[in-house]
Amino acid sequence: MAKRTCIFFISLFLLAGSRAVSQDTVTVPLHIRTGFDLSGPVLNMISSNLVSYGIMASVDLNSSLTVTAGLRYSSFQSSQFIYDFRSRGTSIVAGTDYNFLKANVSRGKYYAGIGLRYGLSFYNEEASVIRYTNEWGSGEASMPLIRHTGHFLEITPGVRTEIFPGMTIGWNLYMRMLISAGAGKDLKPVWMPGYGAASSGMTTGAEYYVSFSIPYRKIKVIIKPKADQPEDEEETEGTPENTGTSSSGTGNRL
Amino acid sequence: MNRLRSILSFSAVTVLALGLASCSVQPCYEDTDPLMNALLLTSGTGETAKADSLRIRGVTPTDTIEFIDDKAISVFSVPLDPSEDYSLFFITLNGVSDTAVVYYSRLPHLVSPECGYTFISEITGLRTTHNIIDTLIIENKSVNLNGEKNLHLFY
Repeated sequence: MAKRTCIFFISLFLLAGSRAVSQDTVTVPLHIRTGFDLSGPVLNMISSNLVSYGIMASVDLNSSLTVTAGLRYSSFQSSQFIYDFRSRGTSIVAGTDYNFLKANVSRGKYYAGIGLRYGLSFYNEEASVIRYTNEWGSGEASMPLIRHTGHFLEITPGVRTEIFPGMTIGWNLYMRMLISAGAGKDLKPVWMPGYGAASSGMTTGAEYYVSFSIPYRKIKVIIKPKADQPEDEEETEGTPENTGTSSSGTGNRL
Repeated sequence: MNRLRSILSFSAVTVLALGLASCSVQPCYEDTDPLMNALLLTSGTGETAKADSLRIRGVTPTDTIEFIDDKAISVFSVPLDPSEDYSLFFITLNGVSDTAVVYYSRLPHLVSPECGYTFISEITGLRTTHNIIDTLIIENKSVNLNGEKNLHLFY
């Protein structure tokens, strides 16, 4: 009886011990990406009023976080009965993207997440013709070319996938919140390059990026932590040959 | 491959929808005419006065435009000439006429992309004759779309 009890406790201890040290890891390549926005040229084909060309670059910090920056040139003109307006300028955005996909799902190829960016727009605006009519009569006036600097915040949920090694495509919606158009309350631009209609405190839209990526480092990500460790992922540098999902029971290897 | 196809389809639909939305023309529902608002007051007491009759005409080099011709009135609103830095008014109060000139600076103001621009003004000076008008004072320099009182006319 004592022997059977001893065997039972030893087995229990061994089981508990093996649970405590078991963990799964996956090797994820981190990328440097650079790409361009296809939506600008496509929208330009639909509406010739807006010309918008954007490029971006991003660097994966780990399997979830990516630092990203973008540069965009925009030119907008609107010729209506009541005014002729033109603005053009360059905007810069910088921020981070967070990938909601777990490392064993994303594997450095897929992204479904959200980004938060801060944007600066250096632009000029001009209303070459302003037509007015009131009780005094009708007339024309103009607003000369003025330079401004505006800034905004951008939230960008989106998805991205690797179509073949070295090339990814993906779209993201954007919600931009205007902090300041830099032009005072009276001369807010009809269109602020990089932001959109500055008469509105929030603009929405979509971008579609094709980008080229280069893996610069591989990391091992623990996807099933040790039982006595917190649930958060831990990362360590790995070697290129250890790719793919490794089997469980290798807790002491890292 | 299926995933790629669905991403491409969704992207195409989104871009097309945004493009079409940007093509639509929206109507203008906003007020685009800033008015200079004035309050009639009794000289001496400073109490609000109700004029038996009030007629205000704007004068241009080529024309005279009637803005107000009303009875039992204590406040009035008139537009400023957006083509000039001053507006000349003939004010006939209870049958007695005066001339008033309002000087101002003009600044374009974007009402909205749909409504376009209007001109808001900052009153810089006043001149008036004194047949019935005792004093005309600036209460608020900004003539904009907010509808604030700009002048106090004592008679």
